[in-house]
This record gives sequence, C-alpha cells and structure tokens, in this order.
Amino acid sequence: MCSIGDDNFEELDNLKYMPAKEKPSPFSKCNKCKEEIPIVVLRSKDKYCRKCFLAGATHKFKATLGKHKLIRPNDRVLVIHKCGHPSTALLHFIRSGLDLETHKKLRFEPVVLFIEEFTHLTVTDRSEILKAIEKEVACFNFQVYLTSLAKLITTNSVETELHANFDRLEMDEDDKNVITKFVDQQLNETNKNDFLNITRQKLIVKIAKHLNCKFIFTPEISNDVASQLLTDISLGRGSTVSLNAGFCDSRDETVKILRPLRLFDLKELAFYNHLNSLEPVTYRKRDENPYKSVQQLMKKFVNELQVNYPATVTTILKTGDKLSLGTKPTNKCDFCNAPLEEEGPELTSAESTQFSHWVSTQTPAERRLAPERAFNNPTCDNYCFGCRKFRK
Amino acid sequence: MPPCSAQCGKNAILKRPKTGDTLCKECFFEAFENEIHFTITRAKLFKPGSKVAIAASGGKDSTVLAYVMKLLNEKYDYKLDLVLLSIDEGITGYRDDSLDTVKQNRDDYGMPLKIMSYKDLYGWTMDEIVAEIGRKNNCTFCGVFRRQALDRGAALLNVDYLATGHNADDIAETVLMNILRGDLARLSRCTSIITDSGDGIPRVKPLKYTYEKEIVMYAYFRKLVYFSTECVFAPNAYRGHARVLLKDLEKIDPAVIMNIIQSGESLKINENANMPTLQKCTRCGYVSSQDVCKACE
Ligand SMILES: [Zn+2]
Ligand SMILES: [Zn+2]
Repeated sequence: MCSIGDDNFEELDNLKYMPAKEKPSPFSKCNKCKEEIPIVVLRSKDKYCRKCFLAGATHKFKATLGKHKLIRPNDRVLVIHKCGHPSTALLHFIRSGLDLETHKKLRFEPVVLFIEEFTHLTVTDRSEILKAIEKEVACFNFQVYLTSLAKLITTNSVETELHANFDRLEMDEDDKNVITKFVDQQLNETNKNDFLNITRQKLIVKIAKHLNCKFIFTPEISNDVASQLLTDISLGRGSTVSLNAGFCDSRDETVKILRPLRLFDLKELAFYNHLNSLEPVTYRKRDENPYKSVQQLMKKFVNELQVNYPATVTTILKTGDKLSLGTKPTNKCDFCNAPLEEEGPELTSAESTQFSHWVSTQTPAERRLAPERAFNNPTCDNYCFGCRKFRK
Repeated sequence: MPPCSAQCGKNAILKRPKTGDTLCKECFFEAFENEIHFTITRAKLFKPGSKVAIAASGGKDSTVLAYVMKLLNEKYDYKLDLVLLSIDEGITGYRDDSLDTVKQNRDDYGMPLKIMSYKDLYGWTMDEIVAEIGRKNNCTFCGVFRRQALDRGAALLNVDYLATGHNADDIAETVLMNILRGDLARLSRCTSIITDSGDGIPRVKPLKYTYEKEIVMYAYFRKLVYFSTECVFAPNAYRGHARVLLKDLEKIDPAVIMNIIQSGESLKINENANMPTLQKCTRCGYVSSQDVCKACE
C-alpha cells in the first residue's frame, strides 16, 4: 500500500527534498568579517578567515555550556578523553577558557579520565598510546587518571584502578577475552554493544562520584549524537532519547553527563586543532563491519549523510532537542537507570510482540481452549523496554 | 527445519521474523490471524455493527487485509459490514492492472467494490499530470489526491471506518523518515493505530504490528492473488533513505522494526516545541496544513 501523504498533512515542497550539499559562494571574503581571505569552508558553504573561525568555535563551545547554566564556580568536572580530534580540541577549549583574564573565564576544576580498551592492538602499542595521552594531558596542565575497561569490570572498587602514570597501569593480552566474557554470549552483536555502552556510562558515573565530580564532559560530536539518537530509536529506547542525545544526561541524581561538543563536526575540530598546532594521539582503528550491528550501521549512515546532506544531520540533532522525558516518572530501570515509563491502557508494540510469541508457542489444544483472553501481558519488573533483553 | 514451536508435532516451514519462533503452515495461519484479531479487539478498532471500507490497492497488504478481515468477521462475529474502496489514479501499467486484482478480490470475497478515479474526481489522470509537469513531485501530488479521494469515497459509501493496509515496516519507515526531516508533528502521530482525518471518518491500521515479510508468506501459503509491481514513481528522498536504512537494519536484527514502533509510541515531544496545527483548506474544506491545500492550489 502506498502510504505517502496519508497522515493528514500534505508533503510540503520544502520537506520533500533532502537539502544536498550547497556550493560555496563565489564571494572571496570571510563570511563573518567580510574583510579577510577565508581559509576554511564549513558545511561546504560557510567560509571563514582564521580569526573569525577560531572566535566562532570558542564562542560555540562557551555558548553551549553557558546556555544551560548548570556548572557553578569550583565544581569539579570529569573530562572523558577518548583519543582523537574532539578530545584534543575539548582540552584546548577548556584550558583557554580557564586561562582567560576576563569575566568570561571558565571557573570549574577539570580532571581528565582515560579508559583504555584498545584490545585489538599489542600491549606495547597500547602502552605507547597511554604514554602519549599522559603527555598530552600534561601539556594542558590538567590532572589525569588512566584506567582500563578490563580492570574496571573485574574489580569492584574503582579507587585501586585509577593511575596517574601510564606505567602503573597493567595491560594484558587477555584483556580482550575479559571484556568478551563479561557480556552474555547469547546476545547478538547489537545488544552486546548496547550492554557495554551502558556499562561504560555507569562506570564513568561511578568514577566521577569517587573523584567528587558533579559533572562529566564527554567528547561526542554531532555525528556521534545523531547516530546515537537513531540507534536508541532502533533499540526501542525512544522514551529516553533525550538522555543519550541531548546536551545533558540527568538520569543520575548527583552526576550529570554533558556533551559540550555536540554541535561541532569533525572537520571543524580538526581545523581548530590544526590552527592551534595541536596533534592528537593517533592509533590504528578497529576494523568494523557496518552491517554487523545497529550501532555500526548508524555510524555509517550518519557519516554518509554528513558528506552528502549535512543539513539532515543538523535536523536529526534538532529533533533530539525537541524530545523530552515527559512527566517525571518515579521509578528507574534497574540496569540503565533511566526513568521507567508508566504503562498506559493502550496497546503497544511491546505487548503485541509478547502476544505474538505467546500465540506462537500455544499448542493446538491450548489454542482451542483458550482464545486470546488467556493471554496476560507479563508485567515487567524494573527494567525499561530497551533493557529487558538483559534480564536473566 | 526444526519442529513447530507450537508443539503440534509437525515440522516448521518458516521462522517468524517478528519473534524468531518456528512454525508449521497451519500454526502460522493461526498465529497470524489471531494476532490481527488481538490487535483489533485489544485496541478496540471497530464498534460492532459498523460499516468498514477497506482501502484496496490490489497489492499484498490490502489483499491480505481484506481476506483476514472477512475471515475474522465471520469467525468472531464482529458484525461488520465490509466494502472495498479503490482509487484509480490513472497510472498506466500500475493501477490498471492492479485494479483487475481488486476486482478479483471483490468476486472471491463477495464484497462490494467502489472505485474512485482521479479522472472523475479531478478531471485528469496521473499520467496526464506527469505529461504536464514532469516527474518531479509525482508522489507528493499523488499522495495528496489519494488521501482526499479515499476520504471522499469513504464519505460517499457512508462508512464508519476506513481500514488501510499499512504494516509494521511502513510504520517503522515513517518514524525514521519523520526523524530525518525533523517533522515532530507527524512523528508524534505516525504510530497511532487510529487517526482522524478531520472529517469524522477514522482511519484504522489493523496490520500495524504485522511484518511485511509475514504478510508475503501468508499470501503465498494461502495462495492469495495480489499484484506485486511497485508504483512507477519513486518516493521522495527522505522516504527513500529511510526505506534503505530500515531494510539494512532488518537484516541485522528483525526485532528493530517493533523496537522502532515502540520508540515512536513512547516518544515525548517537548511542550514548548512549536507544532503546526490542523486547519481546513478554505476552498475544499479538507484538512490541510496551509490555508489552501495542495489539491486546490
Ligand atoms: Zn534500562
Ligand atoms: Zn504447528
């Protein structure tokens, strides 16, 4: 059945065509100051000179933080380092903000955390990367804690696993197995990733609490947030999309996760680093098959949009901004800690799936005896829809 | 194939994409029909004794919908008066052939059929429109006109409901499409199982939770006759992207389709996000998002 135009609103022309990449204007001056020669083209159309570009990037970073007015002077902030242009740019934004002499000066106390999990590399290579990261953070004059995912999931206390020097962190060829075995092998690739992602989030919140940090900064950029949003939708986490794709993840009462780079794209930050003569630590990326998991597929999908339809990535982010958690629910999911939805009287996709499975496992005799009335939608314990697959 | 999940003693002939259960032919028919019955009763789709028009395109979805609606109506005594309603857009090689299929459905299921044609309603066919304006925007025009034609047909037939063959894949695809184009108004509405098109005739989607793949299997095993050619006009860019994405997702994990619908049902729009309001076209009185609707423009 053709369903186009079927939902009361006609498809308006401006909604019909995905805006493709625009051509840069032939105007050869900076878009902003209209004087200098431009050196960078953003979103394939906006041209800026060096000065206006750097000022614009700094402004965007501060405006993102300032708009929400969450952080107070002297609050401690745990900055997650993930290796790459966004992390390096984030450290530089913070350092230059703290060093300002004007009233616009940033006034919080950052602490950097790096969680090692490059288990596809040799122990020697991993050690080299850690050393380089320790050095990079030291150049910005921040305190750093290094740790590893394999160690964090095998011990119960985080305090013994946080190290200030790279050579204190023990790494093992077996770390890969440790992480693999930590996840239920019955789960498919997508759900394994989902499980590990939630585990990572819970760990950084735990570490933040241990280090007395009220806030966490993560280095996710626009593409990361857009693919996270589409992933959440595909995993049935629609009701809590705003936590993973908005500026602030507020599911924990004491520690808030913030995403100060969510409006930047990679090119912008690579250029920012380049103009500031910053070289991020590099490493060999894991080989990943985009058709093996929802997370990988969404990354590929959004990266391709970014190349051909950059405006669509922005649209996805805006959609995320307009979604909310709704009324304040009282219960939280036992696994991911997100607020649980109240079950309404309406038939839902979840109930329909439960019924389908139930009706597929009724014997012919049972079916004759008990029509659909015998079906009871199993009321779920304290797990959100997205986490039910993790229930043992 | 493993044994049937329903322990009927037979071997399964298929694995259900929706649940992963394996079923034999008989048990699949039972499960498939029972589910639609469950959707209809649990969501209270029809008041007993009402008249229902089934939007029939001749394709697999509406053919299966008409067949199952007739079967359930008799089996569970819904007391519904069922009629078929078709739209003839005037697209050579697509609609003329599929209308023959609908006429076959009419005879096979013993249901009255009403055909509304663009030619009668608007004075031209889609073929003529394409010759006039070219291939750009075809789906947009066609969609607007089909919706109105269905509404007018439903009003003419004096029905209480219009049942459409939208399946789970269609709904999931529409959720993704509305996210890509940032259309929050439609996003919050596109998963509703009952919608009101503004003239009091509710549109209902009994196949909302039924997988396209299972509809194809059901039609195949029941040997139902349907028309399988896709419309000759390509969908808009957003829907095209959403469609490809959904197909790739389904290959990775078929549960994604139900997950996306679950997400769509539980999404909450910020109260301060501005939403376009429903209004009526000042010329024809049909629901429109602008003063004058696309059809009258
Ligand atoms: Zn959860
Ligand atoms: Zn069986």
